[in-house]
Amino acid sequence: MTLNNKKSLVTSLAVVISIASPLVAADMTSLEDTDLAGISGQSGITMDLDLKMTADRISYFDDGNGIHLEGFRVGSATDPDGAAHHIIKVDIYNDASLNLDFLVEDRRIEFSDVRLSDSAGASMGGGFLDQTLQGNLRMSPGGALGVDGYTFDLAYTMTDGRLGYRTNGNEVFFDGIDMVVSAPGMTLDAVGSTLEFVAPSVTGNFSIDAIRYSSNPLNHGVSVDASSGSALASYGSLSGDFDLSTATTIAAGGRFGTEGLRIDSETTINSANFIYRDDGNAIALRGIAGQTSVNNLRIDVAPDWQGRQGLALTADSISGSLGIDRIELGGNGKSIGEVDLDYLFADQTIAGQQYTNAVYLMAGGHEDAGAQGLRLAAEWSLVNANIGYADDGNRIVLSGLQSWGRGDVTVNVTRNETLGGTEFYDGLRLGFEGVKGGYRLNGLRVGDDDAPLQGGSELLLALGFYPAYDFEIDGQITLGAGGASGEGLTINSDIQITNGNAALIASAYDEGQGPVAQKGLWATDLNYDAHVRNMTVDVTDDGLAIIKGEAWGTMDIGNLRVGDKETGGSFGRFVIQNYEKGSSMTVSPGGAGDVCAGGSGGDAASCSASGGMWQARGEEGVTIKMKQIFARAISDTRRNSFLWETNRTDGVNGTGTQLVLNDIYTSDGVDLDGDGEEDNTYGLQTDLAIDVYQTKVVKKSDGADANGVVGSRGDEKIMDSSTAAGYRYVASPSSQDQADRPLGLAVQANVRFKELSVNNVDLVHPTGGAATAVYGVKMQNFDIEANLTATPIQ
Amino acid sequence: MRHFIPGVALSVAVLFGGALSSLPAAAEMNRLDDGDLSDISGQGGIYLSGDISINADGGPIQNTYFGSCSDADKRCGARIAYRLKQDGGWMVLDDIRGKFAFEGLTLRVRTIDSGFGGDGALFNQDVLEIGLPNVVRYDSVQFKLATSSTARPTDPGFQQTDIFSVEMQGDVVLEGNLLVFPTGNP
Repeated sequence: MTLNNKKSLVTSLAVVISIASPLVAADMTSLEDTDLAGISGQSGITMDLDLKMTADRISYFDDGNGIHLEGFRVGSATDPDGAAHHIIKVDIYNDASLNLDFLVEDRRIEFSDVRLSDSAGASMGGGFLDQTLQGNLRMSPGGALGVDGYTFDLAYTMTDGRLGYRTNGNEVFFDGIDMVVSAPGMTLDAVGSTLEFVAPSVTGNFSIDAIRYSSNPLNHGVSVDASSGSALASYGSLSGDFDLSTATTIAAGGRFGTEGLRIDSETTINSANFIYRDDGNAIALRGIAGQTSVNNLRIDVAPDWQGRQGLALTADSISGSLGIDRIELGGNGKSIGEVDLDYLFADQTIAGQQYTNAVYLMAGGHEDAGAQGLRLAAEWSLVNANIGYADDGNRIVLSGLQSWGRGDVTVNVTRNETLGGTEFYDGLRLGFEGVKGGYRLNGLRVGDDDAPLQGGSELLLALGFYPAYDFEIDGQITLGAGGASGEGLTINSDIQITNGNAALIASAYDEGQGPVAQKGLWATDLNYDAHVRNMTVDVTDDGLAIIKGEAWGTMDIGNLRVGDKETGGSFGRFVIQNYEKGSSMTVSPGGAGDVCAGGSGGDAASCSASGGMWQARGEEGVTIKMKQIFARAISDTRRNSFLWETNRTDGVNGTGTQLVLNDIYTSDGVDLDGDGEEDNTYGLQTDLAIDVYQTKVVKKSDGADANGVVGSRGDEKIMDSSTAAGYRYVASPSSQDQADRPLGLAVQANVRFKELSVNNVDLVHPTGGAATAVYGVKMQNFDIEANLTATPIQ
Repeated sequence: MRHFIPGVALSVAVLFGGALSSLPAAAEMNRLDDGDLSDISGQGGIYLSGDISINADGGPIQNTYFGSCSDADKRCGARIAYRLKQDGGWMVLDDIRGKFAFEGLTLRVRTIDSGFGGDGALFNQDVLEIGLPNVVRYDSVQFKLATSSTARPTDPGFQQTDIFSVEMQGDVVLEGNLLVFPTGNP
């Protein structure tokens, strides 16, 4: 090999590296040690390149199935016809290592479409990456396992970056990405037919100035609208830092056919912090640590379970754990608490159906949105997860979460318009088409993961979470950029749930003897149709602020059953309609603080004197403040009503006798703005302060309880891990005993409204029609306060 | 303008005490021993304790009728009005105030397949069980039963007759379980 050839090789390599770096450093394996040895002692080469490259199509074929990257371009980020400037200094050191100091300015790497060979008319959409990079890559002979491998040391700084996704002229992108990364000592070795890549330490930090949205086809990867000159709307900004290590093996061979790719990896998050900011107010996840293992991830171009071709990512299992020390919300840096979880995704059988974990990326999103879009034919199978939440050190674990399902999720960037009869909104649209799935919780554990399994997952109903739920979902949620003011989110959504079964109370599905049918109180044959328009979500100084523009829906519970969800006795059919305009909610860190439960008084002494129990619930916890404005009925679907139907013929809705509370609404009772209608601004206001805290649980009768623990009526239950059952009964608990009272959810609630009215209450006979029983109900001037503690029944 | 007519104001002070625990109705609740619950281990359910107060310091409306609890000329409690006849008068529960405290209200689903003098085995179904708290403490619970010409006390032509008032103070012992089970054709 001549020197010129070597220079050419090095130059080519440098260009490839500079394009691919920093993400695909492992690709730089074409140099041989002998090449490096031959040019030892060179003083270095500096290359000044203006790179401009295009390719109409880059294809990858797997067992004859092709995926095509079209409209590929490398060039200037600011000038579509310009070139990206590269300066690369190449040195070869005495130890035969190759050192590249690189500076990349104003570079964009982009593609206009990704297509699959079986659907040439549809595209997944386009993407782009802008970079200004400065850094260093050193490649040395010898890997972690022997002299035949390689070692890479990489460090770089990226500034003014952008990363975007574009469909049908609309795009969302990260704008103003700055990143610093250091990854020394990465090794690449060949073991048989497998490549082993190890990165023992990847550290760095990043910031993203804005997550922007554009609906103007004239814009492409710019921060300012080309027509108006205004800054594009932003969802908010991101920042964070990380310290990772990872080991990955790569082998040939997919899950389908003979070609494809196999990846196995182990990644450890030694530490990380992640912060989202909305106009400067933060949601911060601090003290993140964890690990994840991906076992036998295969990448193919292959058909899904419906025979549709896609880029298939299928995995045998994914497992791991994650802990977050503090979840801070709002401008004051207060924390909701600490969260940790562990999880295992793997194949499982639920109700006779086999589920696995797979995603097939296909071209074309919603059929009316345009030719470009992404369709994810997804199947998931969560075998087990445990989610712990600690509030001031009081920890409760949602144990044995399982989930399963399959269906299509579509992704489009859309704008306000009606196409093909479908209404679209500004933003990133996530569509759900025939997604059929479910989840179930086994129960709660209090304190640690090994504590006895308890019931009580019903406590989550206070947060709007059912203990078990299976469903079919169709619909969409569109996340628009910009909140009530400045940055934030605007959400428009239409969700239809059909054939659902939701548990209001549920027993364990597995008490150690294998899965059994859960017994409980079930909302079965559930159909739910919910719509939200112009709901804004902002992070404020106090926390998370949500303002609903207009929301309406109908929840039709075909049968409210007791016992088994399929065969349990039914209380009948219940239909709940809601229609709200201008409702709002704020979520703030911090719970109730100091509380006098069951008495009154501002300190422990006065509270105790009144017969109450003084509870210092700490700094963490969650406070939710809701204002629900129930509007007057304007149509059959936009109204607030409640219906109970029984005695149906063959279970057919509408054939039974109904009790109907019709047109329920709030009012201020006065017309202060003089528009001729009563004002409706106060609504139904609910404040909930939620903590995990000890509560007093007393025995209700003499003798042994369900677990054989003996006590007398009125004795207190005290947790004691030294006993077989994990608790004992104490007649007069000491202060130490009181510190070991059972944990549960402590809720301080305040509900108030000026007026809540029911227009009429009707009794409806299937043949006789409606007869009004009550000609109006008006409730006024309510202010209800409650201190409630809810503990699981063991 | 306020048009309040006291009318017949019958004040009934009802003091509930422990003696209520011996009422026949309570005795029929068939209090279960904890041992009877052994067959329902693992059922979901929750145990609730706490207190609930209504209009301890008044409500959100401030007008000629509703106001602060320290204002003797106004009512600070809540009000519920309903009517059973179109264009008719209104039945009213007025000036509702007070505080309840309880320990040990439970809610769960339970299978009845034994007990109850042999009826349980014949029944053999699941029911919703509301376990009553042993003691409910009433603190200054009060309301007035009245009739009114209008739904709101601030509506034109308002007239109201207070029929009687109720005050409750003390402890009520509630033992046993309330079983709610589906029956008939849903």
